[in-house]
Amino acid sequence: MSADTVQSIIDDLGALLLFTMILIVAAGQIYRAIYAVAAQSLLIAIAGGVLAAATGNVDLWVIAAITLVVKATLLPWVLHWVVQRMNVRREIEPVIPIAGTLALSVLIVVVSFQVSASLGPVRQAITGNALPVGIALTLTGVLVMATRKTALTQMVGLFASENGIFFTAMAVSQGMPLIIEIGVILDVILAALVMTIMVLRVRSTVDADIADLDRLRG
Amino acid sequence: MDVQAGPGLMAACYGGGALSSLLLARGSGRLAVGVGHVAACAGALVGLGLSLGVLLGEPGRTIIQPIPVLFPFARLSLSIDGLSAYFLLVISLVAIAAAVYGPAYLRALSPEARPARQAAQGFALNLFLGCMAFVCCAGDALTFLLCWEGMTLASYVLVVSDDRDGENARAGLLYMVMAHGGTALLLVAFLGLTERAGAFDFGALRATASGLDPPTRTMVFFLAFGGFATKAGVIPLHVWLPRAHPAAPSHISALMSGVMLKVAIYGILRFAFDLLAPGAGPLPSSWGWTVLFVGTTSAVLGVLYALQQHDLKRLLAFHSVENIGIILIGAGLAMILWRQEATSSALATVALTAALLHTANHAAFKGLLFLGAGSVLCRTHVRNMEELGGLARRMPSTAALFLLGAVAISALPPLNGFVSEWLTFQALLGGATRVQGPGGLIIVFAAAMLALTGGLAAACFAKAFGVTFLGRPRTPHAEHATEAPPSMIAAMAWLAALCVALGVAPGYAMRLLDAPTSALLGGAGSSAVVAARGPLVLSVALTPSGIGGTAMSMTMIAALLVALTAIAWVLRRGWRRGSRRTAPTWTCGMSPSARFDYTATAFAKPLRLVFAALYHPRRDVTHETSESPYIVRRIHYAGEIVDLAETHIYRRAARDISILSQTIRARSTGSIYGYIGFVLGALVVALLLVGVIYR
Repeated sequence: MSADTVQSIIDDLGALLLFTMILIVAAGQIYRAIYAVAAQSLLIAIAGGVLAAATGNVDLWVIAAITLVVKATLLPWVLHWVVQRMNVRREIEPVIPIAGTLALSVLIVVVSFQVSASLGPVRQAITGNALPVGIALTLTGVLVMATRKTALTQMVGLFASENGIFFTAMAVSQGMPLIIEIGVILDVILAALVMTIMVLRVRSTVDADIADLDRLRG
Repeated sequence: MDVQAGPGLMAACYGGGALSSLLLARGSGRLAVGVGHVAACAGALVGLGLSLGVLLGEPGRTIIQPIPVLFPFARLSLSIDGLSAYFLLVISLVAIAAAVYGPAYLRALSPEARPARQAAQGFALNLFLGCMAFVCCAGDALTFLLCWEGMTLASYVLVVSDDRDGENARAGLLYMVMAHGGTALLLVAFLGLTERAGAFDFGALRATASGLDPPTRTMVFFLAFGGFATKAGVIPLHVWLPRAHPAAPSHISALMSGVMLKVAIYGILRFAFDLLAPGAGPLPSSWGWTVLFVGTTSAVLGVLYALQQHDLKRLLAFHSVENIGIILIGAGLAMILWRQEATSSALATVALTAALLHTANHAAFKGLLFLGAGSVLCRTHVRNMEELGGLARRMPSTAALFLLGAVAISALPPLNGFVSEWLTFQALLGGATRVQGPGGLIIVFAAAMLALTGGLAAACFAKAFGVTFLGRPRTPHAEHATEAPPSMIAAMAWLAALCVALGVAPGYAMRLLDAPTSALLGGAGSSAVVAARGPLVLSVALTPSGIGGTAMSMTMIAALLVALTAIAWVLRRGWRRGSRRTAPTWTCGMSPSARFDYTATAFAKPLRLVFAALYHPRRDVTHETSESPYIVRRIHYAGEIVDLAETHIYRRAARDISILSQTIRARSTGSIYGYIGFVLGALVVALLLVGVIYR
């Protein structure tokens, strides 16, 4: 693959990633958010594969494979399972209206591009658009976590945020060392595990959600 | 035997003692304690031989030994020069006494201690002594810090090992927090140097430091000074000391007060005169004046607070603050005068000699006093002086030895405390004439404060000895006391002998001080400057500027005192012959009781009134009357004084922190998405800032 081809593929993937992010933010039902984040992870895996083919970096193949298995398949499946298990409240309960969140995420995207432009071109980056897309994904993920009341949607936000970090690492600095990537993935799995257990436990014992934790304030 | 083998042998003794104590933990606790203390004694003896070998060997010799590689990133080594050897000597001298004293004391105090606890005490004692010894022998920053930390942890274990009550645990916690705050400062100081040097050994640090710019050098010094001052218990960083030292078993108190504080002094001297000293020219003037000021404050306030303590060991702990202050006065003066013109440099040697000599002297008499207090404690199980009294008849040897220590710490001739304080005075008075401008006045003021300190210390020990040992027993605890076991008396006698030897023949000690003073200051050693006329006569030669040196022979003073005492005794015997009659004390017709004696509170009352501005004394007097208000059946008196540093600095800080956290708590929403929102906001702001900076 020529450098131009790779660049245009990554640019297109970045656009698709941003689109899936918008889907996550705009999702009114929790299933849609889960499907969107699964699609996003799939796109990340594809991006990893493309970059691996372009640079010949074996580590990136491994990372792409792990992303495909863990983030595009396993974690969405777990989320899906938890939602079915709880069997209630399929609607997302935003803290601020979804339209407001969308406006904020647009703002974040603009700010990311603005800031990246002021940083100047990154030397190793495949394309100039990778860094702002990565930053925008990360920050919008945090935005989703901040504006959703239920723990499950916050988990979706966390995964989206993770995807942003992965994309930045892959497209801007051609991947972190393998051991760190694997460590990050393990962290995500662990976080998902802990949050799942907590959500189920809290619900089954006191019938409350994360949003109700503020009642514990001293 | 060769001196080179010394460090290894010492490490083997202490390490072996620590390990075998642990291994015996499941078996007999008494055996574990015994083995641990024997090993500690052996280690101390090796340390004694090693230090004497260096001090009396060829001048300027430094033993450097690599330590087998422990870390891939740093080569560790030991380096023993004159200063290290001198502090090793002081540590070893007191450690011998503590090791002899320990087993009998622990057995007498708590006969039914669990084996695990006893083994822990044996283990921690060896670790403590070994770490102290190797802090002084460290040849690189890493060894120094590791041993420093080991010393703190081991002493913490010993502090909380005595009795399992809340008071000790709190004292230990406070000690831990303060000590680690100090270590943090030290860490920053050391890392500031090692990071620039790219190596850990002192030689590289020295080379780096000589290229430092003056502000950085001063900052590193004050970081290190802060760290060491916390450990030394300098006011206002002393709050842990009067709590932690009394809480430990008494022989450990003796080690902590007598020796561990000195390790901090070693650190200060090592940093100021060796590691951070500029290549040429005097030290920055801010160093010496700060140390002098801090020393003077600690000396005066330490003894003033000591005066109002009624807990025997707490009183002694406050006296450590005072004596550290006296040592720092000498050290600070040496920093001020060093490398000024020629005669001042000689005076700097005098000042440093005074500080180092007082280090050894304080170790000897404070060790003795703590051991004496321990003997009282293990026989009466009471630390409050008001509940003691009349022990001189019941514990005659302990009383005599404690009195000797009290005389020494009160800086009375012919004992050792007098010698070093006299030298400090000489240095101060000589320095006052050398330093121009207001500095001279400040030095004179410091001399006046030192004189006040000596007087107050004498008053304090008149109280401590009188109330504890004289009069009649006030409680059954004191009444049924018996003499301490022989091994404890022997340990005290050893330290008492040191007090007498250092007092009567200080000229010999000057020879030991040659190596450290010339290693630090360069030029002539202490014996060339101080003892001009043989080993027995001390004289300070300051003649070049027309001020006559003062000379004094401690040996002659001692002989004179002995002769006078003998004459008075003989005269009294002759006077009294044939006319002796035994009768009860006349007490206006009442039968004498213990209530007639001076109490500690009453004895200290005049000074409490004089220094009321410092003490903020509080007293509660309640009258318990019968039916008629004119017939008082009982009067309750309760009084206490406050520690200014504690109320004005620490309590205030604690209050402000809790107010702040209350405010934060009132503002916090408790909702998780709110917090995530904060994170998001912080990220965006950080990004924007980056964008602005790089534009």
